[in-house]
Amino acid sequence: MATHLMSLDQNTGKQKIANIFTGNWVYIFMFLAITVFSFTGRGFLNLGNIQNIIHLSTILIILAVAETFVIVTGGIDLSVGMILGLTSVTAAKIMQLMYAAQYPLPFLIGCAVLASLVLSVAIGSLSGLLVAYYNLPPFIATLGMWGVANGLALKISDGYPISFIPPQLAEIGNSFLLYHRPDKGLSFLFPPEGLSRQSADLFKLIPISCIYFGLILVVTIYLFNMTRFGRHIVAMGGNVEAAKRAGINLKNRYIKIYALAGLLAGFAGVFDLFQVGVGNFTRFSAMYELFAIAGVVIGGASLMGGRGKVINSVAGVLLIGMLESGLLASGVEPYFRFIAVGVLMILAVIMDNIFPDRN
Amino acid sequence: MENGLAKTGSGKSLLNAIGRNWAIIFLVLEVLFFSLVAKRFFSFPIFQIILLYGVPLFLLAVAQTMVIITGGIDLSIGFVLGLASVVCSKTIVVLTGAGISPEAAIAVGIVFTLVSCSIPGVINGIFISYFKVPPLIQTFAMFGIAHGVAELILGGVWVKNMPHLANKIGNSYLLYFLPDTNHISLLVKPVVERGTEIVSLIPNVTIAAFVVIAFFNFKLNHTRFGRYTYAIGGNAASALRAGVKNNLHLIKVYTASAFLSSVGGVLYSLMFVTGKGDAGTSFLLDAIVAVVIGGASLMGGKGTIRGSMIGCFILIVLENGLRMLGVSTFDKYIAVGVILVIAVLIDKATVKEDT
Repeated sequence: MATHLMSLDQNTGKQKIANIFTGNWVYIFMFLAITVFSFTGRGFLNLGNIQNIIHLSTILIILAVAETFVIVTGGIDLSVGMILGLTSVTAAKIMQLMYAAQYPLPFLIGCAVLASLVLSVAIGSLSGLLVAYYNLPPFIATLGMWGVANGLALKISDGYPISFIPPQLAEIGNSFLLYHRPDKGLSFLFPPEGLSRQSADLFKLIPISCIYFGLILVVTIYLFNMTRFGRHIVAMGGNVEAAKRAGINLKNRYIKIYALAGLLAGFAGVFDLFQVGVGNFTRFSAMYELFAIAGVVIGGASLMGGRGKVINSVAGVLLIGMLESGLLASGVEPYFRFIAVGVLMILAVIMDNIFPDRN
Repeated sequence: MENGLAKTGSGKSLLNAIGRNWAIIFLVLEVLFFSLVAKRFFSFPIFQIILLYGVPLFLLAVAQTMVIITGGIDLSIGFVLGLASVVCSKTIVVLTGAGISPEAAIAVGIVFTLVSCSIPGVINGIFISYFKVPPLIQTFAMFGIAHGVAELILGGVWVKNMPHLANKIGNSYLLYFLPDTNHISLLVKPVVERGTEIVSLIPNVTIAAFVVIAFFNFKLNHTRFGRYTYAIGGNAASALRAGVKNNLHLIKVYTASAFLSSVGGVLYSLMFVTGKGDAGTSFLLDAIVAVVIGGASLMGGKGTIRGSMIGCFILIVLENGLRMLGVSTFDKYIAVGVILVIAVLIDKATVKEDT
């Protein structure tokens, strides 16, 4: 008996160390990736490159945040990638029409963004409705919305990217918060006069995309960690029956969660429009939803629900971005990135299976 | 009183019967609708085209059916198909380049592809059963790996210079019939003057696909393999207690799934005389939708190959019908999404009335 107790004690000591790592493997992988690539890849650790990785990962980060909320409840959302395309196309179409009718710029941007976000929330809530009231498996409900959103986006855009929208859009989307040149001093948001954005000796700091997803992150992390809504999500993922007994209004929660995922996908779509300056529908080959899910899984969330952190999912997506950039910088053929992401996902899950969470 | 009860009972069972067979009823209505609305839809050549170009989807849907019956899902089938098409065409091109006769090269290429491209399935099975990686994650990872390997083999260019014989095998028909002279020839296209009418019957590729599908249908319905598959999907724990080696059987199922996909890839490379890494991308979600329309449940334990084939036909008839109507195929996606949701809703309603 005594030995049994002692062994238990030892276990808890070990367990404590293991508990620090469980669900946080992504940071160790990240550390390894940075170490390896800073040796093998030239210019990997440049400030410019790191900013670039973050800038290019923005869309996936926002989608991964959306996916985290759904996956923690034990569901899955396959429609986010197509909602992204639908939002981008809808906003672009409205802008194109209003721009042709010569409405003032802030007004037309506001209208287009608002209308497209409403549409994205509507599609998200529809999945939520099907899951909540008709007990459809989330996989099916969101796959259905995948088709609907894809078809609508293709119909609106007629299968071509939508251009002839205000050119200022891409300027806003690709600007940096700070520009600095030793002889001209600091300037905010716009490059110093007489200099183009591409000029080589201009020092650019903090892409506007960082601020955009930073704001989204702050709000969503607050929602997830500090509100009753967030605690309900984790409770539902841990045990639906218990959550129901505890008096959580499941139907209401499901609709809100999928609507939130739709809204976040909409934000990603709006950002895509601002970044590219052209309204693009989502192509099959983009596979946004799958890469977002990969980020969430690499970040240590369980598809069974009940476990996952918004910030870890962001780290997971950043790790994928680092892999792509690092492999490219090391001169490895770009196709290896697909293989690398696949291997990384399996590794992340196996690590968590070997060191299970005992809390 | 008794009469009334019987009446409601029969009404319910009629509804249930419709609910259970709604997919085939829907298919018949769909064919009727397009035959009435679209000119020349109800014709033999169109049906033959549907049977020919549906081949990759049929094979992937059968693969997906078996995996979904066990309660899993296989996202890798699309890219395993692509990988197989690349491996097959590349092997054939390399072998013929080395001076081996086209017949031998094609035979070796096919066998090599079927063996080597079943390996992703074995790996999927091992990780899912022994390492407890969720099927969605494991097969998605394999999807990335298969895609990467296929692109690495290709190196950015599609495979070219396949021998002419491959085209002959992939695009010929079982029977050719000359209506003018009543001449019939088997497998070999008769040489005729330009402008002479030739009726071609039953594409070779379709025959090959349906032989494979029939084999797996037999395995699933009449052998221990099938019973174990349903048992694991129904209740894995009780299957284990009943003496089923769950882990080993799951490996078999995922391997069969990869094998079916690689058959699809081989046929693809013969049909289109090339290999493409992303050949099966667009079929992946269609295959899942077809299986679900066919009555399978993602929870496992339910589903038939017959049902999945009906699901496939619903999708392909929809696509071809819309195209013949001149409607943009964009509407197809909306329709597929709606049909998918309705299929599951009907399924749920029917089950409720049963119990």
